[in-house]
Amino acid sequence: MINKMVLQNLLHRPVRTAVSVLAVAIEVGMVMLVVGLSTGMLHESAKRVEGVGADILVQPPGASMFFGLTQSPMPIKIADRLAEIPRVAAVAPVLFQFNSSGGGLGLIYGIDLNSFNRVSGGFVYHAGGGFEQPYDIVVDDWYAKANHVKVGQTLRFLNHDFRVSGIVEHGKGARLFIPLDTAQDLTVAQGRASIFFVKLTNAGYTDDAKAAISKLLPGYQVLPMREYMSMMTSNNLPALQVFITVLISVAVTIGFLVIFLSMYTTITERTREIGILKSLGASKAYIIEAILREATLLATMGIVAGLLGTLAAKRLIIASFPTQAVDLTPDWAIYSAILALAGTLIGAFYPALRAARLDPVDALGYE
Amino acid sequence: MEPIIVTQDLKKVYRLGKVDVPALRGVDLVVQEGEFLAVVGPSGCGKSTLLHILGGLTSPTSGHVLVDGNDFMTMNDGDRTRFRRHKIGFVFQRFNLLPTLTARQNIAIAQHIQGNGFNPHRFDAVVEMLGIQGKLNHKPFAMSGGEQQRVAIARAVICEPKILLADEPTGNLDTENSQIVLNMLRALNRSFRQTILMITHNPEAAAVADRIVRMRDGRVVSD
Repeated sequence: MINKMVLQNLLHRPVRTAVSVLAVAIEVGMVMLVVGLSTGMLHESAKRVEGVGADILVQPPGASMFFGLTQSPMPIKIADRLAEIPRVAAVAPVLFQFNSSGGGLGLIYGIDLNSFNRVSGGFVYHAGGGFEQPYDIVVDDWYAKANHVKVGQTLRFLNHDFRVSGIVEHGKGARLFIPLDTAQDLTVAQGRASIFFVKLTNAGYTDDAKAAISKLLPGYQVLPMREYMSMMTSNNLPALQVFITVLISVAVTIGFLVIFLSMYTTITERTREIGILKSLGASKAYIIEAILREATLLATMGIVAGLLGTLAAKRLIIASFPTQAVDLTPDWAIYSAILALAGTLIGAFYPALRAARLDPVDALGYE
Repeated sequence: MEPIIVTQDLKKVYRLGKVDVPALRGVDLVVQEGEFLAVVGPSGCGKSTLLHILGGLTSPTSGHVLVDGNDFMTMNDGDRTRFRRHKIGFVFQRFNLLPTLTARQNIAIAQHIQGNGFNPHRFDAVVEMLGIQGKLNHKPFAMSGGEQQRVAIARAVICEPKILLADEPTGNLDTENSQIVLNMLRALNRSFRQTILMITHNPEAAAVADRIVRMRDGRVVSD
């Protein structure tokens, strides 16, 4: 019976119900998308680095796990010494270049095509081929799709025009690749590299190889790929964690305030009805329960709408920005639902308490 | 037999800002079980306050109130709510049906609040006696005033309350519907020995009762 009353109340005020459901849906969607976009970006970036196929990453002392933040590249001759270490099958030096053209921010890999192919197993070309001249560039298929790039087209990066020589399958480090020599010339870093991707004859030798490299290059960052992958989470990025927490807090606060206002208004509007229930002998607990059930139903509808909306938003984002990864996980679907439900119940509790405390005579006389 | 309602020197004072406003100034009243009592008097004489106190909607300021053996002076808000749930049925001038529920749901919710579950036999008997079988799936806005008041009476008596408190039950009805409602209250009183305390301005309505009590200035002036 109480559920029928709750349902009828929601149906009786469709605009209020729709606005409340929308607020909870936006709350859920915002939480899911903020987390999905940030973790998606991190995971996608990490997966691309993993896709290079190296077992160990070697960077200069003090280097960041975020490529490109290191300002002092290493002598490229180190690659020859690394190659002499037992179980090392191939070493690919890469010089990173920040690219901020086209409205995006990403890395361009300056690569030596031969050594990079030995580590990565080689690019899969969708069109065109490797570098033929110093100012050639290879782009991945996602970048090409997002920017409508064709082989032979000229793209302007780093204040230079590059001819697109090939379009490759995505997933091998960067989305844009230029010759290593060109990258070195552009940054006046001749003979230097930002990182060495080290491929072993067998990944099982990683610990031994890591020890040998650390001995050869004391103080350098020697990172097995599995460690790098485990580090690429938002938990290891305090600033990102703060950003996510702030946005989630804003979303939950918005949901809480809308539900609070909605329930507060409806309680005022239904003062007389609450008086009627009290005249029938409804206890304070009964009235609180009825209002919290109503809020719970609103939250449930909002959560379902929010989750469906998030899936739709993900499709829209990927269709509009093919290079953008959105990582939606069941865990965060549950967390966002719990947050929305908790916010809703907290938002509804004070209005419910206020309703329960209404004087029945005053409530019955309410116009 | 013990009377079902006994009040002695019953007083109620409302505080409006810094001013005390006495609504009841010492009401002495005895009502026997099965009695149909009409309380009449001018506006502001304390009739409604008396009804609200006897129904446990508000607490008295001083005096004694014994309703079906329950001493209201010793009961808190929760006790009075429980008492009201099980012993009192209200009928109001403005019907006070829940607008979002059908007639059937408006009646059933009283049983739900009482907690004894839906009793189909009682429900059918009450609905038949009040002649609202054809209106059960209608919402209040789709019913006439007379029909709404009959649903309100059904809701008030569905849980077999000890006392039915009616606050101007014909105040919003035309003559024909007023007569129907009064006849039903009379029938309830006669058929089920339902104790009824009815407040009214209408002398014709009061005439239906067994006994008429007149109030003025917060006191009973004739009985």
